[in-house]
Amino acid sequence: MFGAVSVRDAGPDDDVAGVRPRWVVLPESVEEISEVLRVCTERGLAVVPVGGGTKLHWARRPDRCDVLLDLCCMNQVLEHAAGDLVVRVEAGVTMDALAAVLAGKGQELALDTPLEGATVGGTLATALAGPRSLRYGTARDLLIGVTVVLADGTVARSGGKVVKNVAGYDLGKLLTGSYGTLGVIAEATFRLHPLPSKRFWASGRVPAAREDRDDTGSTIWLPGDLDRLLHTLVTSHAEPSAIELDWPSGASEMTVSALFEGGAAEGRARAVQDLGLTDVADAPPATWARLPGDEVLIEARAPLSRVQALAVAVLGARDDAGVPAATRMWLGDHLVARIALPPDTGPAAVAAFVTTLRAGFDDDEGRIVLLAAPHEAARRVERWGRVGALQLMRRVKERFDPGGLLAPGRLPGGV
Amino acid sequence: MKRLIARLENVGEVITDPVRLRTYECDGLTYHRATPGVVVLPESAEQIAAIVRLCNEYGTPFVARGSGTGLSGGALPRSDGVLIVTSRMRRVLEIDLDNRRAVVEPGVTNLAITEAVREQGFYYAPDPSSQQICSIGGNVAENSGGAHCLKYGFTVNHILACEIVTPDGDIVMLDRMDAGYDLLGAFIGSEGTLGIATKITVRLSRTPESVITVLAAYRDIAEGGRAVSAIIAAGIVPAAIEMMDALAIEAAEAAVACRYPENAGAVLIVELDGPAPEVDLQFAQLREICADAFELRVAADAAERAAIWKGRKSAFAAVGRISPAYIVQDGVVPRTSLPQVLAGIDRLSAEHGIRVANVFHAGDGNLHPLVLFDDAEPGAGERAETVSGAILDLCIEHGGSITGEHGVGVDKARYMPKMFSDTDLDTMQLVRCAFDPKGLANPGKVFPTPRLCGEVPGVRKGPHPLVEAGKAEQF
Amino acid sequence: MDPHLINDCVHCGFCLPSCPTYALWGEEMDSPRGRIHLMSQHVEGTPITPAMAGHFDACLGCMACVTACPSGVRYDKLIEQTRATVEREHERDPQDRAVRGLVFSLFPYPRRLRLLRWPMRLTGALQGFLERVHPSLGAMAALAPHVEVRQRMPRFVRARGPRRAVVGMLLGCVQREFFPQVNAATARVLSLEGCDVVIPPSQGCCGALSVHSGRSDQARRLAKRTIRVFERAGVSVIVVNAAGCGSSMKEYADLLEGTPWAARARALRVVDLAEWLAELGPAAQRNAVPLTVAYHDACHLAHAQGIRRQPRDLLRDIPGLVLKEIPESDLCCGSAGTYNIFQPQAARDLGDRKARAVSGLDADLLVSANPGCTMQIAAAMRRRGSAIRVAHTAEVLDASLRGVSP
Repeated sequence: MFGAVSVRDAGPDDDVAGVRPRWVVLPESVEEISEVLRVCTERGLAVVPVGGGTKLHWARRPDRCDVLLDLCCMNQVLEHAAGDLVVRVEAGVTMDALAAVLAGKGQELALDTPLEGATVGGTLATALAGPRSLRYGTARDLLIGVTVVLADGTVARSGGKVVKNVAGYDLGKLLTGSYGTLGVIAEATFRLHPLPSKRFWASGRVPAAREDRDDTGSTIWLPGDLDRLLHTLVTSHAEPSAIELDWPSGASEMTVSALFEGGAAEGRARAVQDLGLTDVADAPPATWARLPGDEVLIEARAPLSRVQALAVAVLGARDDAGVPAATRMWLGDHLVARIALPPDTGPAAVAAFVTTLRAGFDDDEGRIVLLAAPHEAARRVERWGRVGALQLMRRVKERFDPGGLLAPGRLPGGV
Repeated sequence: MKRLIARLENVGEVITDPVRLRTYECDGLTYHRATPGVVVLPESAEQIAAIVRLCNEYGTPFVARGSGTGLSGGALPRSDGVLIVTSRMRRVLEIDLDNRRAVVEPGVTNLAITEAVREQGFYYAPDPSSQQICSIGGNVAENSGGAHCLKYGFTVNHILACEIVTPDGDIVMLDRMDAGYDLLGAFIGSEGTLGIATKITVRLSRTPESVITVLAAYRDIAEGGRAVSAIIAAGIVPAAIEMMDALAIEAAEAAVACRYPENAGAVLIVELDGPAPEVDLQFAQLREICADAFELRVAADAAERAAIWKGRKSAFAAVGRISPAYIVQDGVVPRTSLPQVLAGIDRLSAEHGIRVANVFHAGDGNLHPLVLFDDAEPGAGERAETVSGAILDLCIEHGGSITGEHGVGVDKARYMPKMFSDTDLDTMQLVRCAFDPKGLANPGKVFPTPRLCGEVPGVRKGPHPLVEAGKAEQF
Repeated sequence: MDPHLINDCVHCGFCLPSCPTYALWGEEMDSPRGRIHLMSQHVEGTPITPAMAGHFDACLGCMACVTACPSGVRYDKLIEQTRATVEREHERDPQDRAVRGLVFSLFPYPRRLRLLRWPMRLTGALQGFLERVHPSLGAMAALAPHVEVRQRMPRFVRARGPRRAVVGMLLGCVQREFFPQVNAATARVLSLEGCDVVIPPSQGCCGALSVHSGRSDQARRLAKRTIRVFERAGVSVIVVNAAGCGSSMKEYADLLEGTPWAARARALRVVDLAEWLAELGPAAQRNAVPLTVAYHDACHLAHAQGIRRQPRDLLRDIPGLVLKEIPESDLCCGSAGTYNIFQPQAARDLGDRKARAVSGLDADLLVSANPGCTMQIAAAMRRRGSAIRVAHTAEVLDASLRGVSP
């Protein structure tokens, strides 16, 4: 059916957020991706692209899925121009494999990989970054060129292989966070950074919030000094590359860790000791740059100064829904927090948790997204919360994929 | 137009006097000129939205303009259109240091943002050479860079959110925190073709603890280039690495008496910034790397640093002192190709008898050749155009770009097909169609010819026209 | 309007933020770049329209754009030529003409100004009435300073201590009639610093106001007279304490180019008081002046003459004196010679903006080197209800040298 491209029947491991595709197709080149998509458009088959499959259960389940387009065979590092600090790769290359190649020349793509086995394509499509976004930005900030295959098989490039380039629209940006709904990312070009000669972490524990009782004797949570500490740390002249807050379920304290990179990293890490980050080590904390869980996962985004407010809201939601919650936060341009509930949390409890959290936090500037949850739970709440430009997103989707065949319905508003 | 103007007058201040209108006929690129049909000077997002809705009603194209300093003709007006000038929208609306951000109107100048927070130890990082006057709205439209983008990135990396007026007149918020497509990222750098930014949230950066600026003088560009390679190879990412050749130095000297070392064939400006201990380590490395420079100056304070930068920052306008006319180019090549490309520019210069002064961001391969000519001399302008175009061809041949920070505008639209295939351009055009199905927002810029949007507006059902035309077979 | 000078402009826009009218109105036509564009339209054949003339008239002539321009455009020359062309070719409306006529028959003539001294005491009461007759008359009334008792300056003041130089001194029209104490202080400071000061009694107006308003015939006449007077006085250095006068006198040779007068102009060296004292170096003992001082850059000193450092150094060297910088110090206060009379609203807005900047500093004293600026800012401060004492650099130095409080 797809010419010479390998195809197999889909099995239980191939489900996309609970939807079983009919076939798994394994293209080995941009031309093959184009061929497969052309055929799918002709036949009206819905396609979901996949890389390492680490986040396939994230986001809304697709309205339908006939073909799982598995890019695992597109795994070549095409060009590493070390002198130019640029690399061009196929989308199916795993982040770890890429890191190994780059490290050979003393360089890196400064993007953390919170889920092991993730590919370049999947990292872009889900716009998943790690704590080092504080210093380096997220995938969209490091991506300088992209080759994309549209639903009808059209192959298009934007950007290029130079870091500085403003010619034409930046399709790469549009594709980050698109969850496969606009086109299939086939190749990507990134700007690189030299590997820092040294890395040191400074860590310390701080109370998550102040516990108190109200007039009736019930527990209430009050803000502590967290935001002031973090503001001092973020704007410190020691210039941390990353800040992570780990807050295990049931704990009353968080561990704040800051990463320092460079020849003078150790001294800089020690310079923030007086903020309470007294443990200095040249190895990361065990939790570093990983997600707190993966099956029932909530994401909160807000301006940097809302960490304490979020912590209070999480405590409220935890008490209200009666489920333990493990939270990990990274500070970048804004606060990104991921809250994991136990995998066996019932649908009603998940819904209650999200609803209470939103009530306590999701105002003008807070966003609560239910990233991953069993379909039964996700059905009960609005997954995405507020999105400012939904209408424009719909219009872009309609132009790129007029037949609605690419990962239909994965994004807000049925996009 | 008359009826439209009458209704625009109810929205805000309007300029219709022909003598006044003509002062808006071009931006920083004077080569292209067109007197706008009418100029409006709105003072709020609501006014801009009302203007844009009127343009939709009458099918009239509109162009947004900030300070009019762009170098690619991105704000070139339409004689049959409305020019929306944001120079009266220059309020800093909010400074929120807790969240390291400020909210400003589009007409606020780039430097004014920094000045508003400098005393508190913050600044706005992107610093185009025209930062004292270019507007932040224009920076967003062009995704402006600057000398320090080597380390800190471009406008797109420093904008957290934008309120925009879409080409059909809606006010929409684009925010980095939103789920889904990075519409903000796509909007920034779209040169006014996807709408007009009316409120911009910028990230404020902490002023670095330590800054060391070094000026190294070399006999020629090649020697300077070797130093740049050595810096990159040492794993140093300076805040900026700038290079100027002898002719550019001569111009800067004439304009601002920057007192660069005499007889320098090239000067390299390297700025290191960050935590003091880190900068000290890098500075020690840098000293070794630049040991073969025939003169090395280290700025000891802010005044000396400003003196070093003064020559570089005024270089474009300064060539006016050594040549009656000139064209500024903005090509990019992979940094390692710089020696070949600069040699190629030398060849072109000799071949056509046209002097070329070179000013460039050496760290990221962004060249600003200044092609000098005398417009009074018959044929010189054409020869300069030829050289200028050939330089861009050279950049494309080496896998580079036709513009690193000035934008495509009207000036380089014709080069777009050399850099991108028809399919690439058609795909970009899909974004345009989604935002601006009527093609009213800054038409004629970025893309060489109006493409898909010129066709029937509305959702495209069925296969891509290129597939139908059989062009997709080329893959 | 010299097309070559116009062509020097590359349209980069670096002048825009320095321009007071662009700061006020945000319009291209009221920026230096826009005005140069209007000039080029005229050169290409467009007659001077009332709109065009209005934009030229709105220029304060502060020359901040000349400082800001990286291409070295001589906007100062261009606007001078343009104003002359406007006066020649443009028919103003009758009321406008009448006010301009009144101003130009008064200001350049010290004796006529003197006659105004008494009526000006009345104008305070009459300001509302004048405002209604014509805004410019109202503006004149509002600016009127409290007039000090007139002091007749001697023809000659001998140096105290060893003589280090012999200089001529310009009295200035507005300065001598409304701020005689500044001239007295200037003469004392020069003398205390070891200069013989020659003050020719027959000196008149230097012509600055006429130059800045396009009345070039009047300007040339007054320039020649001034040159002749100082030649006869036998001095080769003329010290000027009014920035507007100094900047015009430094341009005499250009104004009189093509006549034998140009060479005579070049033979005289015109220096600003601060420039001269800095060059001379301190000789007299400085006594403490324990005041916080905000120093205002007069455009005609900072932009037209490039003198910024010297007055600041002189002030800073006074023991006990704390010098504060005014934010947006490059931006004109709106006085600009006769500007506050012809463009009262714009001048008032700029004055208010400057007053806002000054009042943020909490200074005891505002110092500047131009009588126009002093009047303008003092008036704006009074409007804000935060009146501030004003002084000329010379007065502060005089106080320090004499050990009295200014």
